[in-house]
Amino acid sequence: MAKKLSRRSFLECALAGGAAAGTANLTIMRDAFAQASGPIVIGHHCDLTGAISSWGFWHDKAAKAAVDLINQGGGIAGRKLELATEDTESNPASGARKLRNLIQRTNAEFIVGSVHSGVMLSSIPIATELKTIYFSTGEATEATGSKGTRFSFRTGTDTYSIAAASLPWCVESFGKVWTIIYADYAWGQSTAQESKVYIERAGGKVLNAIPVPLDAKDFVPYLAQISADTEVLLPAFIGSLSVAFYTQAKSMGLDKKMKMYSSSASIEAIAPDDIQGAAEGVYFFENFPRQLKAKDDGFHKQFNKLVGIDDVDAREVGGQRVMDKSHGWQAWEDIFALKQAIEASGYKTRKDVEGVIQALEGMQMTNSLAHPQGDKIIRKQDHVGIIDCYISRVENGKLEVKKRIPKEELAQNMPLRHNLSEMPV
Amino acid sequence: MRDTVLLLAMNGLIWGLIIALIALGLSVIFGLLDIINIAHGDFFMVGTVLAWFSLSATGNFWIGFIVAPVIGFVIGAIIQRLVIQPIHGAAALSIVATFGLSLILQETVRITFGATPRRMLAPIQGTVPLFGIDYEIYRLFAAGIALVALAGFFLFLQHTKLGIWMRAVRHDRETAVAMGIPAQRVYVMTFGVGFALAAFGGAVAAPITTVDFRGGVDVLPFCFMAVIIGGLGNLAGTVAAAVLLAFLEGLVQSVADPTVARISSLVLMSAVLLLRPQGLFKGFTR
Repeated sequence: MAKKLSRRSFLECALAGGAAAGTANLTIMRDAFAQASGPIVIGHHCDLTGAISSWGFWHDKAAKAAVDLINQGGGIAGRKLELATEDTESNPASGARKLRNLIQRTNAEFIVGSVHSGVMLSSIPIATELKTIYFSTGEATEATGSKGTRFSFRTGTDTYSIAAASLPWCVESFGKVWTIIYADYAWGQSTAQESKVYIERAGGKVLNAIPVPLDAKDFVPYLAQISADTEVLLPAFIGSLSVAFYTQAKSMGLDKKMKMYSSSASIEAIAPDDIQGAAEGVYFFENFPRQLKAKDDGFHKQFNKLVGIDDVDAREVGGQRVMDKSHGWQAWEDIFALKQAIEASGYKTRKDVEGVIQALEGMQMTNSLAHPQGDKIIRKQDHVGIIDCYISRVENGKLEVKKRIPKEELAQNMPLRHNLSEMPV
Repeated sequence: MRDTVLLLAMNGLIWGLIIALIALGLSVIFGLLDIINIAHGDFFMVGTVLAWFSLSATGNFWIGFIVAPVIGFVIGAIIQRLVIQPIHGAAALSIVATFGLSLILQETVRITFGATPRRMLAPIQGTVPLFGIDYEIYRLFAAGIALVALAGFFLFLQHTKLGIWMRAVRHDRETAVAMGIPAQRVYVMTFGVGFALAAFGGAVAAPITTVDFRGGVDVLPFCFMAVIIGGLGNLAGTVAAAVLLAFLEGLVQSVADPTVARISSLVLMSAVLLLRPQGLFKGFTR
């Protein structure tokens, strides 16, 4: 039977509730005050362990180096910058939980996001719910497309922009008859879908799109499905799956029968030299050339120095690790993009986030140490980075740039499909 | 179409022989120790890494065929004493303990070897035209090596003192101990042998797959399916099931999506669990 509420106990409850509410209010006010004058906290949703930890290592290093540089220069709008890092474990479920930790417990005001497409796609609804800007560094176009929101941004390329930038030239230069073979998860599916559209738009034909399960070890069943009429093969794999693909494709002599073209993701954190020629002759999309000579300026050189990589292979100075250079730069540049937007909008506390969003929409960034990848713009409507792109070929174990696609050409090839800037904050 | 069916069936058979080596190690450990070894895929991964280090240090690929199982055996014996022995008899705890072991092995390799996957060049280069494609010669060689190793293991089990001890302890521990067989030593050796088999499988498969700190994660489910279909602890049944599964998946892949092929294996496993819980090959093998 329910206990009858007496007047005394009601008053006790009301007083206790009032005291709790008052304390909470004081806490919120204290936090708000602290935010306005204390350090700005940027959360780094970083894949430090798990399947793409070889990439996450570099994102962590680049983000830390960027924060150090900003703090040496006086911080952001006179406030010190703090970086709070959480490991996503390269796992969407863990990543989602860690993002809540970053925002709700560590009080991160902005997020430099995961490069794992599954993690970033599971994170955007949470970032949106918690009204926090989330910069994706992975490539699934949905993050700033069909699943994008007012809070999701990127400075780099995605599967849509990669297809738009590179495939018209590739179809014209390599051949019209294509086969796509891809890792059967968010990024691979997105790559296959976007690439097919652009291959056909350029007058080409896709004979087959072959999905490969993520747990595949033996590629023969999938390689056997590639038609002998194929002129160009587009593989979309990352990490160990990518090395396994190139190893087995090479050993079966596919490289002698057809050209191969793939996204930078397929060779990220891997030096072609280290896989014993398995990727020799393959063309790769890049958005920040691995070799300094392909974009030879002081900002690029200084960036390499500060992140600790050499100018040829993007290999760790004094070590063996190779940077995921066409992705890792975003962990650096996203922080500088936030700095620019925060300073332009006069951001003080979380309630000013709309101003930062408006500043980011359509924001132009100039080739500098803050933006060593080059001049760029975050397109207002779909929050995508419009940047210079490159197509390189592995020659004697090095990625040699063969074609540069200016950002103006990319913008022209990539019509708007979503307008995130009209969504509510 | 006929060529594709034959190719995928044959490739399944070849791949199945390599996987059988790894699954056999899992079955040996389960059969004698009642350990559900979640870390077994990582034993395979350690084998690939040991083969890679061996090749890097000596420049000789073949030394890896000795180094990987020998070091694997030693690591396995140490793990049995430190991790498995304290939880002897508690099958449920073994899942938690070996899951922890799996994470420790992966992270140890990530820290020492690195997170970047590597490629090992096959010692035998070249292809032969087979059913419409150029088939890698090393795969045929690897299947032959796996077959010899499997035969060697069963000879060891039948004709050596340790092999007979292992079978005796598995059959009836109390009587074996009463007959003077050092059961504790047999446990240590058995876990070592299980690790060595998986590590050898890793050394053989490394030039075909990759060397990667998470390389064992994907192998484990297939091995478990082989052990379940073959019959828990039934060593010859496990080998037969691994070959059968890979062969069947190859056949299904020639007419359907690879995912459908994996589903068909899972359906087969479920049917065996329902209809023949002692394994498909109970009664055919000892």
